Parts: sequence; structure tokens; C-alpha cells
Amino acid sequence: MTEVAYYPGCSLHASSELYDVQCRMVFSNLGIELKEIDDWNCCGATAAPKTDDFLAIALPARNLGIADATGLSEMVIPCSSCYSRTLVSQKRLLNDSKLKDEINSELNNKVEGRIKVSSILDLLMPKLHSGELAAKTQKKLSGLKTACYYGCLLTRFPCDISVDDNVENPESMEKICEALGAEPVDWGYKTDCCGASASVNDTEQSLLLMSYILKDAVARGADCIVTTCPLCQMNLDAHQKKVCEKYGINKELPIYFITELIGISMGFDPIAMQIDRHFVDALDLLKEKGLV
Amino acid sequence: MPDNRIQCNIIESGLFLSEVAERSGQNISACYQCRRCAAGCPVGMQAGVTPDRLIRMITLGQKHEALNNLLVWKCVACYTCGVRCPNNIQTARITETLKQMAKEAGIEPIMHRTLDFNSSFMQAAGRLGRFNELEGMTIYETKTILRDLKKGDLKSIIKEIKDRAELGLAMFQKKRLHTGFERIKRLSEVKNLYKKAGFSRKEDRQ
Repeated sequence: MTEVAYYPGCSLHASSELYDVQCRMVFSNLGIELKEIDDWNCCGATAAPKTDDFLAIALPARNLGIADATGLSEMVIPCSSCYSRTLVSQKRLLNDSKLKDEINSELNNKVEGRIKVSSILDLLMPKLHSGELAAKTQKKLSGLKTACYYGCLLTRFPCDISVDDNVENPESMEKICEALGAEPVDWGYKTDCCGASASVNDTEQSLLLMSYILKDAVARGADCIVTTCPLCQMNLDAHQKKVCEKYGINKELPIYFITELIGISMGFDPIAMQIDRHFVDALDLLKEKGLV
Repeated sequence: MPDNRIQCNIIESGLFLSEVAERSGQNISACYQCRRCAAGCPVGMQAGVTPDRLIRMITLGQKHEALNNLLVWKCVACYTCGVRCPNNIQTARITETLKQMAKEAGIEPIMHRTLDFNSSFMQAAGRLGRFNELEGMTIYETKTILRDLKKGDLKSIIKEIKDRAELGLAMFQKKRLHTGFERIKRLSEVKNLYKKAGFSRKEDRQ
């Protein structure tokens, strides 16, 4: 077992707890033990940079200090928003020693900026390339057409951060889906925004953005959408009925976490993975395709 | 004939431009109005202002317009404009800066809900060190409903309560509603960072 530091973030301890459970199951089966870092705090998400520039860097910095102190070399952050904020903070402090000292003076565990911050795809891709992922699959997800949805914060950053994937047309999730035997569709809205927190404070705008995404996925013949971000998942799942009614979309699509498809393919029990906690039923499609 | 000439005070506009550029960390003057950002902006159409227009307002020193437009409050910080910009200007960082500057200038935001959401989120995240969804949403709904109540906008209040009750019920049924409160052990560290930022709860209640 390789140990990797793990920052779940607030969402995976609350409304998207199922994603936390699935991440642990899937990575454990791939020989990676997720070691949740001790006493982590909220990263400030998208609200911090809109409210206070210091806190936007300082809140993730405290978590980076805790992560550095574990002595582990890599930390995975499944939530796109937490991942983005933490990476931005690390990058900023690398180039701003004055700010780093100022923040460190308040911290028990000082930020060194040493630990590698990874998204869930960064952790999965080496397992795909080495063949370990394919070796662990027991069921082929044949006939399951997936629209892989990356959203904003996996590939786009407010500062100069290089990404392993193509920024405008990322394909790592498609490659994972193919390895599982699924059929990813080619579509145009994989990196468009779902509105994120605008679903709370600018609801109509967010519903409109979601309608573009859902309409295109349906038009391209997808059976479902696959994502890695708990905020995108929640938005597209919880508000889908409303979006479909308002914009005349006549097909509902389950919104899977990538860990759900990997887990099903690994032969895990869907209830143990809590796939029954979706708003748009996510079990029926799996039954229909003979996968559970 | 109406006088359509652009009014621009060179000294004042220069000061405003430098402040926004410095605080947002963006080289605003590099913009040559190619409008690739405008083509990619997901909210520009509804906001009536696209990133290139916002940048133009700033370079012309139109402070009032730059701090008072829908793009500042509707921007979803998707960073598409910045990725597409040939000069690497992140307008999403600029809208984040302008939100803060508008607050400092005592300007009433066009969209209170955006301000209320962000401040409620920060308040909840700072109280126990983690964002507890039920707590954050309660602070936000209280702020929003009180504000609508002051305006006598009962229609908005009813819609807000109806929408939130619907979502809350669905979350409850799907076991996605989390009612627990998580608190970090070394909370004083987070509190001290908030203090250092000058983030006071009183100021935030406004």
C-alpha cells in the first residue's frame, strides 16, 4: 500500500459524503491508502477570493502546512474547488516569501510548499497507464455512453499553473471510461461552467448554464454524465428536474462520480458505495445495462 | 447633436487603473480588445457587460461604471476569459477585486445575494473552521430574507422559502442533508488568520 495524504474538504464530510466513501474504496483497491490529514480547515472555496485576498491564500496554506508535516510526498484533493484553491495558494507562496512568513507566523505547522497537490485524475492516470486499473476491473461497462464533464476548476486556474491534460479539450476521464469498457461521447460542453455557487445566489443564471450542459449531453446520445467535482455533481443532480422542466429537456441523466463507475467495474456493491443517494436515480441505468 | 466623446481624466483614471491592476495582479493595460474573452464568457450575455467592456471601463477610469455593473456580481469565476486571453489577463480576478473595492467604497451591490452568499460562507467557515452546510445556508437565508423584508419584497421571500424548502426536502429524502457540526481542534489558528485579514463579524453583518 502506498500512502497518500488526503484532503476531503467540507463537502465530502457533508452532502457528498458518498464520494468520500467511494474514493477510499476505489483507491484502496488500487493499492493507495488515503491518509486524511489531521485537523484540516475549510479552504475558503470560491467565496474567499471574492471576499478577502489574504484569507484566500492563508486558509489553504494552513492545510498545506499540516500536509507538509505528514512527511508524505503527495496529497490528493477530490473536490475541484478545494484542489484549485490549494494549488493556487501553494503557487503564490512559492513566489512570495513575505506573505509566506506572515502566514507562517500564525501557524503551528509551517508551510514549506513541498507536498505535491494532486487532483483525483492525477492519482488515477498513472494507475491507468500502468495497467493496474484495467487489472482490477471485473465488469466491462459495455454499452454505457458517458459524457465526461470536467467543469472549470480542474483545468483552468487564475494564475500560471500547467495542466497535464488539454485545457480546452481534456480527455483523461474519457481514457478512464474507455479502460472500464464504457463509451465516452464526443461533446461540446465538457469544460463549461455549471454556475457553481450561483445556483444559490443567482439561480436563474445557473439553471441556464446547466441547461446548455444537459441539452448537449442528451443530444450527443449520452446515458449519463460523469464528473469528479462534488459541487458540479450536486448542481447537475439536485437541480436537474427543474432545468429539464424549464428548458424542455425530455431525458434525465444520472450524474455519476468517476469513482462510482470505477467501483461498479471493480465489482463493488452499489449500496456500499451509496449510489442510492442521488437525486436523479442512478441505479436504474446500471440495472438496465445489466451492470448490477 | 449629442456629445459622444469619451470623457477621461488622465490622472484619476491612471490611479484607478493601477489600483485594480495591482490588487488583482492583472496586466490590464495589455488588453487590445480582441474580445476572445467576450466570446467565451458564460454570463456576459445576461450581464450586458462582457470582460472586454469591463476592462475598457477600467482603462478609461470609469470608476463608477466599473464598480456598478452586473458582470462584477454575476461572474462565476470559471476562468474561461483568462485561459483564452492572448495577454493572459484574468478578468475573473478583476471582478473579485472589484467586489472588494465596491464594498470598501460603500457602494450598494446590484446583486445583494452574491455578496450575502460569499460573506455568509466566510462567516460560517471562520466560526468553527469548517463550512457546515446547514449553518452557512441559515446565515445566508437570514441575511437575504431580512434584506427583502426591509424592501417589503414579499414575493422574493416566498419564492426563496419555497425553493429552499424544496431542495432541503429532496436532500433530506436522498440522505444528502447533513445536520452535524464539525469543529477543528486548533480553531485559534483560523481565528487569528481572520483577525489578521481584518475580517470582523460585525462589519460582515451589514
